[in-house]
Amino acid sequence: MFLTLREFRYSKLRYFLIGCIMILIAWLVFIISGLAQGLAADNAAAIDKMKVDRFLIQSDAEQKLNRSVITPKQWQNVSALVPKNAATPFGQKMLSVSKNGTAHKQDVALFAIDAASSLAPKVLEGKSLTNTTKGEVVVNQSLKEAGIQLGDFIQDFETDQKWKVVGFANGQSYSHAPVIFINLNDWNRLTKNLYYNAIALQVNQIDPSSITGKVKDVTIINKDQLLQNIPGFKEEQGSLTMMITFLFVIASFVQAVFFYVMTLQKTHQFGVLKAIGANTSYLARSLITQVGLLTIIAILCSLVFSYLTQMLLPSNIPFQLNIDTDIQFSALFLGVSLIGSLLSLYQIAKVDALEAIGRIE
Amino acid sequence: MMDAKLIFDQVSKYYGETDQAVTALNHISFQVHTGEFVAIVGPSGSGKSTLLSIAGLLLSPSKGRVILDQLEVNDLSSKEMSRVRLNKIGFVFQSSNLIPYLTVRDQLLFVAELAKNRTDQADQQAKRLLDRLGLTHRQEVYPDQLSGGERQRVAIARAWMNDPELILADEPTASLDSKRGRDVVEMLADEVRLREKAAIMVTHDERVLDLCDRVLEIKDGQLTQLSYKQVCTTDKND
Repeated sequence: MFLTLREFRYSKLRYFLIGCIMILIAWLVFIISGLAQGLAADNAAAIDKMKVDRFLIQSDAEQKLNRSVITPKQWQNVSALVPKNAATPFGQKMLSVSKNGTAHKQDVALFAIDAASSLAPKVLEGKSLTNTTKGEVVVNQSLKEAGIQLGDFIQDFETDQKWKVVGFANGQSYSHAPVIFINLNDWNRLTKNLYYNAIALQVNQIDPSSITGKVKDVTIINKDQLLQNIPGFKEEQGSLTMMITFLFVIASFVQAVFFYVMTLQKTHQFGVLKAIGANTSYLARSLITQVGLLTIIAILCSLVFSYLTQMLLPSNIPFQLNIDTDIQFSALFLGVSLIGSLLSLYQIAKVDALEAIGRIE
Repeated sequence: MMDAKLIFDQVSKYYGETDQAVTALNHISFQVHTGEFVAIVGPSGSGKSTLLSIAGLLLSPSKGRVILDQLEVNDLSSKEMSRVRLNKIGFVFQSSNLIPYLTVRDQLLFVAELAKNRTDQADQQAKRLLDRLGLTHRQEVYPDQLSGGERQRVAIARAWMNDPELILADEPTASLDSKRGRDVVEMLADEVRLREKAAIMVTHDERVLDLCDRVLEIKDGQLTQLSYKQVCTTDKND
């Protein structure tokens, strides 16, 4: 600490500059991760929020929810095999709806669910969905921005259906569209040939193989597999993850090179310090403290900037910071910085105290 | 024997492989006593630096014994050497070699910090040394704002900081004019006598040799003692 703080104070500009670079990189990492999570939520929140961990779908559907068809017969077979409430079917369909009396269309993701099951959305405003009422719908809050209010009717021309908005739920979106929930009776009317897309399973009550062994043409996948196969999900997240990975590598290299060059420049000085009686471990600790302090300060600044960014961004931009991910990335950032300093540590260990003797600076 | 601070007993140092080794020091024996200030002179490549490095525990000898303050130090590990250096030896380097980002006062306190000895006593010691070397008014200044003479004085103060038994000075006057060089060496000599420690100075600067108690000359790895008169003769021949 003795050397670290005094060197920071003396070489303010130098450390300020590298600090700025670290802040900018870390900030960008947090922004991209915020965007990745925002997009993920926008794409998959409705699935992510389901309090189940496995899904039973058609085997030939390539794990894609929209391609999967589960017949009522299959559902009957499954429901006979599992305890009550451990399985519930649902349907999903992308629609374009408009508010009654207007021509403006809006893409929505329709989910048909058993209103008594765990899949029923929590309603913030208005009333919950029931299985007995007809033509009622609970919609995501974001539809308010499209001018839809409680009591309004929305209609789909393609299927010639009309529903009354009775409640608003929060954070329910799928495939970048707001979700609307209807009950299974209405789903029946909508689809004509009754089918479901998948069955949600509470896996702690069931042995999955006991079902797939007995019901034909079905397979059981976990939530992550289902998310990965939402159209565009993998591609979106993949490219953002690649950017974040690159940024980590860049950050690590920038800092490693900075400290390496500084160390090379100070070889003679380290020789003098060793001659005076500083051992390698003292100098190593001093360097690690420097790298660690600089990185921690940079991370804290960039976190503050990231949360400010979140406050300043308009609400329709999918951006979501998540404390767990922030902590993970911060730790990773510190980790790669420390790994980068190994190069300098090696250099310090190599310096011979003899450097101090018989040389003019 | 008891008052010898440093004893070299048949010390040799070879560099390189055994069959074509270069001999830097060849069976050198000498002692430095308490309160003594010894100069070592010799042409370039004569082994001066090697001798100083061995005395300063920066190098181990190939053969022979080195006894520092009654402790045999020729077989220590590099870690132990570093600890002994910290506690028993003070270095004054050519061109001072101060740490650029430490103020004059911190240069001294850093030595106490290294010895895990950062107490009020260390603060007092630093204050006393700065006062004695006339640096009190410069204590918050960084090395790049000091003159060459001031820097060398700080280096001397730093060397005394942990109250070492032996001071080793490597051409302390190399970057100074003759007046300042003399002042610096005088200060070193005074301190050695006052504190009853010992010092070895390697130098090219024959103008300051009269301040030393003894002058040893090293040539091709062999040591000979010069009387003061001989020093003056070599001076003329130059």
